[in-house]
Amino acid sequence: MKPILKLATAAALALALAPAGANAQRVTLNVITAGDQNMVDYVKDYLGPIFQKSNPNVTISSVGTGPGDAGSQKIAEKIIAQKDRASWDVDVAVIHQKMAGDLVQAGLLAPYTKDIASGKMVTSDNSKMALGAKVEGYVIPMFNSQTAIAYNPALVKNPPKTYADIEAWSKANPKQFGYNGIKGGMSGVSFVVGWVYANAKDANKLANGPYDANEKASWDPALAKLKEFNKTATITPGNAGTLDMLNRGEIAMGPVWVDMFYTWMADGKLPPTMKLSLVGPGMPGQPMYYVIPAKAANMEAAKKFIEIATSPAVQADGIVRKFNWYPGIDAQHVKSQLDDATWNKLFVDVTPQELASKGKSFPIKQYFDDILEAYEKKVVN
Amino acid sequence: MASSRLIGLLLVAPALLAVGALFVYPLGFSVATAFTTKEGILTLGNFYRAFELYSVDIGFTLVIVGASTLLCGLLAIAIGGYLTLGENPRAVAILKWLYRWPLFIPFVVAAQCMRTFIAKNGLMNNSLVSLGILEPIQTTSLLDWRGIVITFVWKQTPFVALLVAGAMASLDRSTIEAARNLGAGRLRILIEIVTPQVLPTLVVALILSFVTMMSVLSVPIMISGESPTMMTVDMAFRINAYGDYGTANALGVLSYLMTGAVAWIYLRRGIRQGGKP
Repeated sequence: MKPILKLATAAALALALAPAGANAQRVTLNVITAGDQNMVDYVKDYLGPIFQKSNPNVTISSVGTGPGDAGSQKIAEKIIAQKDRASWDVDVAVIHQKMAGDLVQAGLLAPYTKDIASGKMVTSDNSKMALGAKVEGYVIPMFNSQTAIAYNPALVKNPPKTYADIEAWSKANPKQFGYNGIKGGMSGVSFVVGWVYANAKDANKLANGPYDANEKASWDPALAKLKEFNKTATITPGNAGTLDMLNRGEIAMGPVWVDMFYTWMADGKLPPTMKLSLVGPGMPGQPMYYVIPAKAANMEAAKKFIEIATSPAVQADGIVRKFNWYPGIDAQHVKSQLDDATWNKLFVDVTPQELASKGKSFPIKQYFDDILEAYEKKVVN
Repeated sequence: MASSRLIGLLLVAPALLAVGALFVYPLGFSVATAFTTKEGILTLGNFYRAFELYSVDIGFTLVIVGASTLLCGLLAIAIGGYLTLGENPRAVAILKWLYRWPLFIPFVVAAQCMRTFIAKNGLMNNSLVSLGILEPIQTTSLLDWRGIVITFVWKQTPFVALLVAGAMASLDRSTIEAARNLGAGRLRILIEIVTPQVLPTLVVALILSFVTMMSVLSVPIMISGESPTMMTVDMAFRINAYGDYGTANALGVLSYLMTGAVAWIYLRRGIRQGGKP
């Protein structure tokens, strides 16, 4: 940053913060979240009241930008649009991995994790690297989420253990496996990425790099197989569409987000008999990150907000108990806050060992884009 | 004289500015983006990619919207015809009251309802099964391109019917009476006497519906994820998954060309009628 810019930023920050400090005026903290409606509800109805108890002069304004990478894209565009302004009207954002890497590289996020207590409680790999981009210091995972195959045990006697099992099962039971392609939400994307992992020479390279543009040619046989597979599968309308069709008995099996699966079940929108299987060699999951834009108008309040949101107590009660996500900060800090029954509920169908061995991350950004485009080119076209 | 001209210009300025800022500028910008790379170099690469990846969807967009427009037209003529020629006053009153309802329902709500209505084990099939019309094994899901057509037709028919029925109601009844005196049946009167007279209104209503349906994203994205789908879904995907505005805008230009072609018919008709819209 040029010195003059630095000076301007400091002045602007001082200006922005001065009134808040000087007369303890009411502050409106703008929290923008990508993701489904449950994310907005979580901030507005759960986190907001907790935060306001200790910070009565702060009002939380919670806005959702929609599910999938589309939601993060909108947040990024909002931040980029006001790049040259002295202070930005986004204080806390919750974004996906793909965008976090981009924003850190563009210098649009503030390195805040060293300033708050919970920063030391996160040591997971995905708090340091996001799809191949270094994000350490800039992000704390709000939660971790995982995809798995949901199935109806009444119709599926021997649940699949691997992608090869799914392929064989779907051939024998046409139109009973359903997923939402790649344009209707991340559970379908995750299934496709897992498919490529299962058939790639070196799945680790896709997840960790380095990038090699020639790699994509080696996926052709896998994608040709997927094209054949799609003929026996049902394409569902969206993440919720897969769960809807499972619920109505129109399909017997399909990839879902684990947290959505449990939440729908708790709400009575899925029969309690449904089960999950995390198939090998593995399916991707992802965290969502709390980030603070570099020139957030209410930097201090933003840090306080994230500190509370990532504290063990809130992670235990909000993230795990209420919303069925895996915790964002390291598990040992959270487990002690919960009784065994609640904790174990997370691991009924997917054991911690399975999660460790078969819970993959999404590929690095270049490979990720290549996989999606190859799917468009070779599978649906 | 000069001052009145100035006042005239001032009066029209806000409208011109609004059109310029909110329509001409974004249109020009999106067309320009379609022909440039991210680095700002002129290229046709975006169009090449659009055709390479989405040629099926481009074709299907035309098929889906074209078929929907056609069906809207047929249904609107049937509804308007019954309102004009129907002989049971109670049935006419009920139809008149009922047919406009979908007008007030947004596309996204219509799509949400259809998602559960036309699914394999959805409300429609369940009703048919419990009435004994279908066996459970015969039910199929309509949640693909057919579902998009059903939703479009359901939503857009009332709009066309509203305009067509209005035009039919203002026809000179003597032509209908004359045909009736000569022994023509109602269907024949509708096809040979009424419809030709309201054709200009019908065409305008269908063109407006075509353009509206071309731009809908919520319906295709909620009813059918892919395999194949409409260009709007691909445009959204290009931007959301890759941040690739170039290809999205190339697809946009292609849909301008499609709507431009029908708009041209609309304008030509207006000019022929002496500038009437």
